[in-house]
Amino acid sequence: MEVRIAASPAHLSVVRAVAADLAMRADFTLDAISDLKMAVDEACSELISRSVPDGELVCRFAVESDQIHFSAESRTGSTQPPSRESFGWRVLTALTDAVNTWVVPGPDGAHVLRFDLLKKRADDVVGL
Amino acid sequence: MTQSSERASSDYAHLDPVLVELAETPVGDPRRTELRDRLVTEFLPVAQHIARRFGQRGEPHDDLVQVATVGLISAIDRFDPTRGSDFLSFAVPTIMGEVRRHFRDTSWSVRVPRRLKELHLAITGATNELSQHLGRAPTPSELATHLGISKDEVYEGLEASNAYRSSSLDELLVGTDKSVSLGDALGDDDPELMGVENREALQPLLQQLPERERTIILLRFFGNLTQTQIADRIGISQMHVSRLLARTLVDLRKGLLSE
Repeated sequence: MEVRIAASPAHLSVVRAVAADLAMRADFTLDAISDLKMAVDEACSELISRSVPDGELVCRFAVESDQIHFSAESRTGSTQPPSRESFGWRVLTALTDAVNTWVVPGPDGAHVLRFDLLKKRADDVVGL
Repeated sequence: MTQSSERASSDYAHLDPVLVELAETPVGDPRRTELRDRLVTEFLPVAQHIARRFGQRGEPHDDLVQVATVGLISAIDRFDPTRGSDFLSFAVPTIMGEVRRHFRDTSWSVRVPRRLKELHLAITGATNELSQHLGRAPTPSELATHLGISKDEVYEGLEASNAYRSSSLDELLVGTDKSVSLGDALGDDDPELMGVENREALQPLLQQLPERERTIILLRFFGNLTQTQIADRIGISQMHVSRLLARTLVDLRKGLLSE
């Protein structure tokens, strides 16, 4: 499923709510639901802060058997993806099972920044 | 407040030797219980006074007195007269911290129907129980089976928990509470932080956080503990950890952006 919103912090809660609802109905553990929600929030906040003025944020959710795949993108002014040494990146890696970010060439010479997240239904807890 | 605590200090001056005696009595000595009981009884008006100050906020008065008394008892147990400070200046923030935590743990920021409140309570209780049993957080369907209700009801209850917690009161009292002591849960310096490039900006922001929030952030993002493990470690519910974590992340992000 796809959600398109203006790249503004005011709309973040919509994406967050969709993420939480999908994870809940996919029977994720409460930890995983909360983690996904925060990870989506973090990735979208990063996209919004780097978006071109009046940009659009496109979010896609794919619910798979035991995981949710989330990707989001928006047009950005920079060819540089966010740093992998930042606190934000640390947060994303801690909250998800896989995360990636990169910049691709967009239409009309623009750049598109993209985030890809994967969250599994349950944490692999040591000792289980 | 200043006036009343001045008066209060002199009212309770006769108890100072009792506090010293309690501190000097070794743990296990039956005399301790006696001294402790006397102190709790005599200082009870302080707890009642603080409970009254927090009245009018929709919590039953009796509950508040009880929570304040718990704060008083822990103040009596932890007070160290050799530090040279006055008992009340130690006890008042401790008791207020306890009451504040009670509000934070049990308040709703918007009106929620009673049925949903009860559902939320049932889910919180079942989450704790199942986490113990499973060694991880439960899923909505596990909660539904455990509680003998439908999955839709669990969804409803989980959604209602978003409306939980009154933030205004937290904001009001931030800075007055020195009672939260989780320092032993984690060292002062976290070597993991060294790898983070914006640590110069991050460190002061982390230092400014209340100790509990800071501990949760460090355990989750640098200690790689799950929310359930953190909840277990610091003695609050998973949902509470989840809320604190989400809120603190937003604050940190704002702080980092404004650098």
